[in-house]
Amino acid sequence: MIPALRFDGVTFSYGAVAVLHGLSFAITPGERVALLGKNGAGKSTVVRLIAGLERPGEGTVWVGDWNTRDCVPEQLAWRVGSVFQHADQQLFARTVREDVSFGPRALGVGEPEVERRTDRALADLDLTAHAGHHPYDLPPALRKLAALAGALALEPALLVLDEPTIGLDRALRARVTRALLDRSAGSVALLVITHDLTFAAETLERGLVLDRGSLACDEPLAGLLGDVTRLEPLGLAPPPVAALSVALDLPGRPVRAADAARALARVARGRPGP
Amino acid sequence: MTGRRLHPFTLLAIAGALPALAWILPAPAGGACTAAVALVLTASRGLRRGLWPAVLTAAPFWVFLRLLHDVPTTIAIGLRITTMVASFVWLAATLAPDRLVEATVARGWSVTAAYLFAATITAVPMLRGRARRIVEAQRCRGLSPRGSLGNRLRALRALALPLVLSALHDVDERALALETRGMVSGARRTPLAPPPDSAVERAARWALLVACVAALIWRLK
Amino acid sequence: MNSLTLERVSFWYPATEAPALRDVSLEVAQGEIVALVGAVGAGASTVLLAAGDLAPRLTGGRIVGTVSRRERSAIVLPTPWTQVSGLAFTVWDEVAFGPANLGWPTHEIARQVDRALEHLELGPLATRDPATLSGGELQRVIIAATLAMDSGLVLFDEPAAELDAEGARKLWRLIRVLAKEGKAVLLATSALDALPDVADRLVWLEDGAVRAVGTPELLADVAACDAGLGTSVATVWGASGLPGPYPLTVAHAVRRWR
Repeated sequence: MIPALRFDGVTFSYGAVAVLHGLSFAITPGERVALLGKNGAGKSTVVRLIAGLERPGEGTVWVGDWNTRDCVPEQLAWRVGSVFQHADQQLFARTVREDVSFGPRALGVGEPEVERRTDRALADLDLTAHAGHHPYDLPPALRKLAALAGALALEPALLVLDEPTIGLDRALRARVTRALLDRSAGSVALLVITHDLTFAAETLERGLVLDRGSLACDEPLAGLLGDVTRLEPLGLAPPPVAALSVALDLPGRPVRAADAARALARVARGRPGP
Repeated sequence: MTGRRLHPFTLLAIAGALPALAWILPAPAGGACTAAVALVLTASRGLRRGLWPAVLTAAPFWVFLRLLHDVPTTIAIGLRITTMVASFVWLAATLAPDRLVEATVARGWSVTAAYLFAATITAVPMLRGRARRIVEAQRCRGLSPRGSLGNRLRALRALALPLVLSALHDVDERALALETRGMVSGARRTPLAPPPDSAVERAARWALLVACVAALIWRLK
Repeated sequence: MNSLTLERVSFWYPATEAPALRDVSLEVAQGEIVALVGAVGAGASTVLLAAGDLAPRLTGGRIVGTVSRRERSAIVLPTPWTQVSGLAFTVWDEVAFGPANLGWPTHEIARQVDRALEHLELGPLATRDPATLSGGELQRVIIAATLAMDSGLVLFDEPAAELDAEGARKLWRLIRVLAKEGKAVLLATSALDALPDVADRLVWLEDGAVRAVGTPELLADVAACDAGLGTSVATVWGASGLPGPYPLTVAHAVRRWR
């Protein structure tokens, strides 16, 4: 099976400043990966390389079986849906629906298909009620969701998101989690840059940690997020649910809230009463 | 660019005197001289930042004029417009907005007016940065800047609209945000690094003003 | 001594029928950290704008009730790039922009700027052009610029949004230092898990009105958890079906568990 995304010894510099050193990893269809690390570690550069906005200095970035060196961003839009930071600034159409349908229409997909993809993307993020509104009439948090819907509507094989949850409250973050899990069940690969380890725990399954341009860590989040000794040198801290699992020694050391609640209930039932 | 930096007011005086003289002095010789001076100034800022933008911005005017007027009139007005455009491009590339505000503050004049002028100059690189980000985001959604005319117009709309909308939205927020940084009208600002002025420059500025007035009087006689 | 008092404040943005704030009353004392929590759109940002004398003066709109301040206020907006002056070509000058506008003597400006840069660990970036900074770096610069204005009342709107985990931790520590220095702090944040260690009091806003006021223990209330405003630990405890009161943090949970 061809990986949805593969970095092969990628090195990249902005002018004289080296940003990525020999980065190699692969993501399979349906896999949900978090790209973690301190600010300045090179995460946004990874996104730009995948979108085709930059070419690697050395090595190759493969999106499916396409070498990004041979592609321009508008071609890669067939396979990759990218949402950058401050995506709420890219909205332009008169209505949210029109903006979301911009992507599939630009790809030249037939009108009925454009409608279907737009409706699905809006529904996935509970934005259908706002579909007829002007984007700038919405609060910034909902504009961010509209920008995400625009990427979902491309129905790409790979979704690459840069900090999708900044400015969102818990309810809106839950919407994003649901939408992403739903797509991943349909074999869409996910690569999400995030500082929000709680969101990562709920939504993603594997963690790639970048440290000064190199891969410091590539492992399942379930184990990584509870391990203070691994996280601390990388400037990260276990999210509360993972820390709770460790502190209470819950079986399976769950990192997701629902799993932790179930484990907690099970253990509590088995304990002698107070 | 080597040499000591000129005082901001001197830069303003030059950028104001050239277009003024272009319109006052008899065409086409007057316009030709001032346009030549203005273009040389833009060239001193380099091809990319100076000469090219000046030429690119002035060119459509020449085309438009030729459609409306005969050749002599086109040349006469075209040279004047070129002077104006080139002077402004040179000013935008040379004048450091912070120095202008500092110079204004050092004189004890209102900082808000200076800031507004300075902000229009800094708006350009900021908008350019944002425009680049918007172009990238739209290309990643499949927008191709190539292709048929219909395609290109759609592309333009997808690029220009978000730029304008978010910029306008920002202006709203910025006016508020500036107040949060203490920019209240009537406030007396402390100059941090007032640009040095010299008697020579002051004299030169007066001389430019006198030259413009003299030229005006001479033309009106 | 209250640095800020809102008394039964209702506020309407221009050309909007529904009020953004309904009958909101709250105080912030010197040396106190009060946090505003609520869903997106609940009114936290509007409270901060009213507290900072920006609404309705600059936003337009209509206000009912009184807002009294005993101190000069400074605000950090959630969009740091709009607060950049556009006139400074180094971080040092950017941070000095506010103090200079206040007309202070140059030695005082230098003192405040150096102190603010130190607080935010911006020394290495002091000579950089603000236009080249990342979102997180810019947010720290704007926070430093706000602190340099040495106001007695400091307002923060989602100050940690663009920061990474370490940056956020340092920011919360800094906010506690500010309170110890005697400043009054009012902050809006969705980083609920950080609040037990930061805030002295919480104000829970819902649809523009105050639903509850209390200590951070509020985030362990059944009602808060049901509304999605509990800490992660409290929410998990509640979801497991264990009886209340729910523990607020991991440390509380461990104590309860024994």
